[in-house]
Amino acid sequence: MPLKFSVMITSVALAAILAGVWLADVSREHDSRAVLLPDQVITLFPDPKPLTAFTLTDHKNRVFDLASLKGKWSFLFFGFTHCPDVCPTTLAVLARAREDIAKNALGAKDIQFVFVSVDPNRDTAGVLRQYVEYFDASFLGVTGDNAQIANLAGQLGAAYQVAITPGVENYPVYHTAGVFLVDPQARYHAVFTPPHDAEAISKRFKVVRELEAGNAA
Amino acid sequence: MRWRNTVFVCLSLALTPAPAASEQAGVSVRDAWIREAPPGMSMMAGYMELRNNTSRPQVLVAARSSGFESVTTHRTIVKDGIARMVHAPQIELAANAGLIFAPGSYHLMLMNPKRTLRAGDAVVVDLEFRGGLVLPVSFEVRK
Repeated sequence: MPLKFSVMITSVALAAILAGVWLADVSREHDSRAVLLPDQVITLFPDPKPLTAFTLTDHKNRVFDLASLKGKWSFLFFGFTHCPDVCPTTLAVLARAREDIAKNALGAKDIQFVFVSVDPNRDTAGVLRQYVEYFDASFLGVTGDNAQIANLAGQLGAAYQVAITPGVENYPVYHTAGVFLVDPQARYHAVFTPPHDAEAISKRFKVVRELEAGNAA
Repeated sequence: MRWRNTVFVCLSLALTPAPAASEQAGVSVRDAWIREAPPGMSMMAGYMELRNNTSRPQVLVAARSSGFESVTTHRTIVKDGIARMVHAPQIELAANAGLIFAPGSYHLMLMNPKRTLRAGDAVVVDLEFRGGLVLPVSFEVRK
């Protein structure tokens, strides 16, 4: 009887261990799949790239630099305010994504949304302030001189072209439509590809944040 | 009594306001809206669902509105991850087919509104098709 009992206990223990191993496997497979396979919404980098020093100025004339990215997840979008279609559409989507993220357990305290204007000629701090705060009071609008913008854009691979034409008020600006995700260690972590959708972004971000918390633990 | 009813029905029909969708000579428009502009911004984009109900192509050649300084037709093209807006002076609607003006794609670019437009306002834009057909469309301003 004691023997039978111990066999039973051993079997149960063995089954539990096997189930544990199997679950861990499934979870590892799930993790690696999430990390390695880009989908239509997000591309996650297996080795996030640490960003180096840069300096920009925000919509309240405060310095926005590498230190401003640390300790927070940052969503960065490059654009310009004289942009009727893509920029307001993207910022409206990001405002909804932020609302979604704020609703889940981890909240939105450690995230920030940054609109980087590549058109400093027209986008002064005052213009940027009115613009970003229209979409969400927490949004930041930053810009700088051409070299300063090129520094951060270059590190993220964000392409843009400002076609300033003398005498033309509404010169065109071409800019990358992706949204860049920088992690709390100021590393370029992932990129969201257009067309953007608020729910898709908040869902992917939840997974990214959980994966990162798992790696840190 | 009977004819009176008939007259009443006819009158009612005549007095009923036009449906929200604009329709004329086989081209119809649904869900026409303009995105409200952030404060200080004078460029807006308009979107809609166009449908050509005829058996031959229809070409949109111009858009005009007394509510704006200028209205042009554009298309956003995302190529290699870069978004650019290109002027689309003529937009063809294939026979018996729809064409959607949507964020990140075809849109009306509306410059310098004559008055500040806020969500809930409506503004009429005339769409002109090749052959002279002009279709007035009421766009709703939305946030």
